[in-house]
Amino acid sequence: MSGKVVLENISKWYGEGATFVKAVDQVSLHVQKGEFVAIIGPSGSGKSTLLSIMGALLSPSEGRFLLDNQDVTKFTKNEMAQVRLEKIGFIFQSSNLVSFLSVRDQLLLVSKLAGKKEKEAKQKSDQLLERVGLFHRRNHYPEQLSGGEKQRVAIARAWMNDPELILADEPTASLDSKRGRDIVEMIAKEVKSRGKSAIMVTHDERVLDLCDRVLMIKDGQLSERVATHI
Amino acid sequence: MFLALREIKYSKLRFLLISIIMVLITWLVFLISGLANGLSSENASSFQNIKATHFIVQPNADKKLNRSRISEEKWVEIQKLSSPGEVTPFGQKMLSIVKQGTDHKVDIAVFATDANGFLAPDVIEGKKLRNDAQHEVVVDQSLSEKGIDIGDWIQDPDTDQKWQVVGFTKGQMYSHSPVVFMNLHDWKSIAIKQTAETTTYYNAISVKMDSLNIHTLQSQVKDIDIITKADALQNIPGYKEEQSTLNMMMVFLFVIASFVQAVFFYVITLQKTSMYGVLKAIGASTAKLTRSLVVQMLFIIVLVILCSIGLSYGAQALISSSVPFQLEVGTIALFSGLFFIVSIIGSLLSLYQILKIDAVEAIGRVE
Repeated sequence: MSGKVVLENISKWYGEGATFVKAVDQVSLHVQKGEFVAIIGPSGSGKSTLLSIMGALLSPSEGRFLLDNQDVTKFTKNEMAQVRLEKIGFIFQSSNLVSFLSVRDQLLLVSKLAGKKEKEAKQKSDQLLERVGLFHRRNHYPEQLSGGEKQRVAIARAWMNDPELILADEPTASLDSKRGRDIVEMIAKEVKSRGKSAIMVTHDERVLDLCDRVLMIKDGQLSERVATHI
Repeated sequence: MFLALREIKYSKLRFLLISIIMVLITWLVFLISGLANGLSSENASSFQNIKATHFIVQPNADKKLNRSRISEEKWVEIQKLSSPGEVTPFGQKMLSIVKQGTDHKVDIAVFATDANGFLAPDVIEGKKLRNDAQHEVVVDQSLSEKGIDIGDWIQDPDTDQKWQVVGFTKGQMYSHSPVVFMNLHDWKSIAIKQTAETTTYYNAISVKMDSLNIHTLQSQVKDIDIITKADALQNIPGYKEEQSTLNMMMVFLFVIASFVQAVFFYVITLQKTSMYGVLKAIGASTAKLTRSLVVQMLFIIVLVILCSIGLSYGAQALISSSVPFQLEVGTIALFSGLFFIVSIIGSLLSLYQILKIDAVEAIGRVE
């Protein structure tokens, strides 16, 4: 079985002897095009480690991670950075925008890093900002935006290089329930319309109905949870 | 470039403040270097421009020309051992003189030399120094600021000897005093009258020859010491002390300026640790981030250097001509280059911080 994102028997451990910790234990996962997967689990369950591996930030100790048919586990640090830039869009817990860049420049930075043409990048950033409803705020700085607006900018930024995979790390953590739901709806809508994959790590039970599949991680082991609202 | 310049634009005040501090320090370095140059030329331009390569001095004179005595006999002996045009006697004495008819004293440095020898001054106005004329002197043009002109007589009030100014030369200062050139005939009259010695002496024999011939000469003549032009310059009374004080100030300012800049960038880099983590996570390579930091530093330093150079030339235009201040393109280029290099070295501290940051830190963190 193939898919956009394929994890085969991924394990990650730290330390040795008495300090040996297995953060992720034999995890296998397939995510298809247009599929939006949520991963839930208590803190310390290995969520962040798993997300870091899928984000090409961390190499697993064991197993294979295929993204768009490329084996990322064989890549060097620089190649991993290139994969992150071109194939993965990140949405972090608290938006993590660059404080000294205007909303539009946040998006242009991503295409600049990838060495894309400026004119196309500008058109693209304007389109994306239009879609998240922030075109009128394009010249504002992060400090002038509300939490929800920042997170919408982060979503637009994540789509900027047209990635195959969107990774969201508790995107609703700093938002109230109404805004949190808006944000997740927005991610879900984009994933469907573009036919890409998205994986979201969250604590927020209220938005799980927007996801296609909900997985549960506990002590580094991943298991399917039957979603109640589908 | 993208990140570097946008950050400067956004944090204008922060960068403006650090730039102002840097400009002030750099400006001060340039001002002190101008003063050092000016003082050095006021103190010793006569020796900086002198055509001699070496000086023959008395062995126990501590390399100081004013302490050295070379007798007439020794001069004759040296003259026999060298070709014409290679050696010429040099007499030097500090005097206080007045313009005849006034009682305002002026300090001068008497340089006595063969009017046909290589130490004879180039005249920019008036007549040249002659060996067969009596009581004629060629003086540095700065004496005209004291009201002494061609045709005027100057007088040593202690001995009542008089000389007529027949020409002006330029760039001839010694120990902060203008130089008065006279021939060896007139020198004999002041050298003998003012000391207990009965025979003529010179302070040194100036030499213009390559070092090989100099060594031969030294081995042939007993009881002489040969010093280079640079040694003679350093041993002008007060020269070394003055220059080393100013140089020490400049070195300290350099160290301060480079630390201020390095620490500033180090601190703002530390403040941006989480931002660098995020940028690395979304795929910015370390090379791109370090390039951005270096561009930022160089942008600031180039701007600072240009401002300081402008301010220094502005100051030169405003400072009155009585202050010894002289900017030299070579010195300014050297210091600008040094500032540039030092700030690149200073940036290594911040670059190391950026290298250390792991992109994984961006995951699972709340601001």
